[in-house]
Amino acid sequence: MATVEVTHAAPALGSGRLARDVALGLLVALLLFLTAYPLAMLVYGSLHTTPPGEAGTFNLDGYAAMATRTNAIVLLNTVVLSLVKTGLAMALALFLAWIVARTDTPYRDTLEVLVTLPFYVPPILTAMAWGMLATPKGGLINIAWSAVSGSREPLVNIYSYGGVVWHMMQYSTPFLFLLMVGAFKSMDPALEESSRMSGASAWTTFRRVTLGLMLPVTTSAFLLSFIRGVESFESALIFGSPVGIEVITTEIYHLIHHTNRPDYQQATALALFIMALMFALVAWQWRLLGGRSFFTVTGKGYTPRVARLGRWRWATFAFCMLFFVVTVVLPVGQLIVSSFFKFFGFYRWSMVTTDHYASVWNNRLVWRALGNTLLLGVLGATATMVLGGLIAYVLVRTRFGVRRALEVLAWLPWMMPGMVLGVGFLWAYALMPGPVQLYGTLWALGLAYVTLGTPLAVRTMAGAFAQLALDLEECSRVHGAAWWTTFRRILLALAWPAFAVGWILIFFIILRELSASILLYSVGNEVLSVVVMRLWTEGKAGQVSVIALVMLALVFLFRFAERRLVRTHLRS
Amino acid sequence: MLTRRAVLGGMAATVVARPAWAQDADWKKVVDAAKKEGKVVVYNGAVGMPVLPKVGAAFEGKYGIRFELLEARASELRERICTEQASGKILGDVSHNGSTTTALQLAEGTFQPHGTLPNGKRPVAPFATDDVRIPIYVIPYGILVNSEMVKAADEPKSWKDLLNPRWKGKLLMDDMRALGGGAVFFMVTHRTFGKEFHDKLAEQQPHMNRDLRGNFPRVARGEYPVYAPFATPDILELKGLPVKLLLPAEGLPYVRFDGAIFKGAPHPNAARLFLDFLLSDEAQLLYGGAGYVMTVGGLESKVSGEAKTLAQPKLLGTTDPKLQEEMLKLAKAIYK
Repeated sequence: MATVEVTHAAPALGSGRLARDVALGLLVALLLFLTAYPLAMLVYGSLHTTPPGEAGTFNLDGYAAMATRTNAIVLLNTVVLSLVKTGLAMALALFLAWIVARTDTPYRDTLEVLVTLPFYVPPILTAMAWGMLATPKGGLINIAWSAVSGSREPLVNIYSYGGVVWHMMQYSTPFLFLLMVGAFKSMDPALEESSRMSGASAWTTFRRVTLGLMLPVTTSAFLLSFIRGVESFESALIFGSPVGIEVITTEIYHLIHHTNRPDYQQATALALFIMALMFALVAWQWRLLGGRSFFTVTGKGYTPRVARLGRWRWATFAFCMLFFVVTVVLPVGQLIVSSFFKFFGFYRWSMVTTDHYASVWNNRLVWRALGNTLLLGVLGATATMVLGGLIAYVLVRTRFGVRRALEVLAWLPWMMPGMVLGVGFLWAYALMPGPVQLYGTLWALGLAYVTLGTPLAVRTMAGAFAQLALDLEECSRVHGAAWWTTFRRILLALAWPAFAVGWILIFFIILRELSASILLYSVGNEVLSVVVMRLWTEGKAGQVSVIALVMLALVFLFRFAERRLVRTHLRS
Repeated sequence: MLTRRAVLGGMAATVVARPAWAQDADWKKVVDAAKKEGKVVVYNGAVGMPVLPKVGAAFEGKYGIRFELLEARASELRERICTEQASGKILGDVSHNGSTTTALQLAEGTFQPHGTLPNGKRPVAPFATDDVRIPIYVIPYGILVNSEMVKAADEPKSWKDLLNPRWKGKLLMDDMRALGGGAVFFMVTHRTFGKEFHDKLAEQQPHMNRDLRGNFPRVARGEYPVYAPFATPDILELKGLPVKLLLPAEGLPYVRFDGAIFKGAPHPNAARLFLDFLLSDEAQLLYGGAGYVMTVGGLESKVSGEAKTLAQPKLLGTTDPKLQEEMLKLAKAIYK
């Protein structure tokens, strides 16, 4: 492992100490408002018999009620499911990232876009697609298996632990890939070459140098994905709950949606407990990485080393294409086909129609929501990445005492299940004292989205900054550039690929976000996720397919634009 | 323009009997004030309910008052309303929600009296308007079968036919352990047939979930031959699929949807006018035409097409909000 003790002095954030302190104070105040304030409302909710603003008493009933054997089993279930899912997705994502970034596999640029696409397909649609493909009774895969083998036993069953893990992996793998592929690319080959010249094998070099240097990125990505796995609930709700497989988030979902009176006291207590557990994991990561340096981008020019695979390069190409076919072509193909049929999954000539396109085209609400969502997505993702970049800078490049507090604040929203955090936003914004009214405005949605995206923005930018040697920044400062100029023209410029990837991820998180949106939107401020849920509940799966295809078209557009921008940027 | 206080005062005053001409004059004032308010904001807990936007459009067309609709699941909506009331930042005027949730909110003091409504007395038994709520329409629940898999002779004709061993492992059901159609079915059939009905039904190992819209295609594709409880109006949306609606002989469990005005509603006159409009022939026939059971009587003959067959089913009963919690617990104990 290449480790270097960091001995550089902390650079100042501004020309004077006062400016630095004011800037830091503002950053802390902003984060306190964005994350600590809604979370404080949730802590209140967990300790009070009624939600904030209503008459009730303080007690610990919420916490006492969660201490049951059932909950312990559910927690174990949750952790095991997420660990298995993250482990498998990590291995797959690492392999795919290595193929795309460090081998001479053909059409790598195209493959890089293709393998990320599953992330952008709405989970409810892939769930429906896999429900049709892999249900034990009449699933297409099982019908084919039965025809081939003559067996009456199903080959696959999506309603199982394996099914839940598989569906979760559809999103985790491209998510992890996106987070890691940049780090694979921005790696000076000199370190690996030194290892090889010192006699290490290719495998040892890959394991101890390549992966070792990527430790900040891989551990962050693993944690982000693991925590997201603990907090996701669509897969478990659709494929687990019907056969008795419950996870913590489905328990919270039941407490909120499936009880006579939503039990927010127990739901918030359970969510805060999970947050505490996840925080322990993050603290472990800090300990793991503490005091070590992972600089791979220095002032020297370099080109990442590419492994020559010979004939095997077509095998790696085929592997990427297989992943693409299974995770994208099958569900997206079904979206395309279904968008032209009256009923989702019924493909008869008599049912061919273009009505879904016409309905979406003529739906004023869809257009209004699309406009609001694009506005919130573009501004929200940009604001979040800038905020995340600033926080990441303080975390990685300075030794200010406040940086640990910033890191904690920036992590917290990621550790809280969305459906509970959404309630925190509602309570915080609606009950906010003072003349400023956030509740019922687009601002409320925008602030919630920035809060939800900040952890990812910080992790993405911190991982990238950790790879940039300090001499680059110092060089700029020595030549008289102000801090902001250095931050913008050196750090952000070199971390541009990570910024672009983070922006895309957050843009699509905003596009899909429902838990907070449904509690904060108001008439006139509708967003796409709410409209999609409305159409879905109305049974308009065909129209949902059309909207999903529009979203996918946006992905293509943004991904290619981003890659063009990155290329232009790197050339300049 | 009428103030909120004046409206509340007016509502109290209408308790005293007034001659018809005076009531007409009073109502005209309400209509004028509603037009000045310019809009009504409806909070709807039945997400994706296709008729409500049509009713809203008809209301807009008739009075020129903008109809704005905000939809969220019942629990989310309830939390929003609680928070709006606690903070005083009230955006919604009218609640359009299931009778159980409405009853719970009524007990929490969420609504204000609607005062006299010209159409207020039109609902027929067993439905009736009270000081706060109006019954808008009813969703009854039957059984959906795959018509290619279930022969006519095998079709369940009674709810008890679901206990036939033939259906073991073949029943797809709306989850009875959660609020929704499943819970309505559980409470009503528990009241009608007793606990042993459900003990036996549990032995049938039904596959339960809350993915209502995903369940219809699963039956149509033949993954499961039988689905229950099935909201009868949905059959109109499934034309062309190999499915059939069955109405058990005992009658159908049902859920009623109520309208009410939020306490502190920012457009109280428009809210009153909208509640009244919901009980008009025009609005009721929109519900009837979509297969829902109207609460106003005597309009069934005016319903056209297939919806006519759904307009007057034999009803078995509905939920009792006071027993809801106990019933949910019992369902969780039986269907583990």
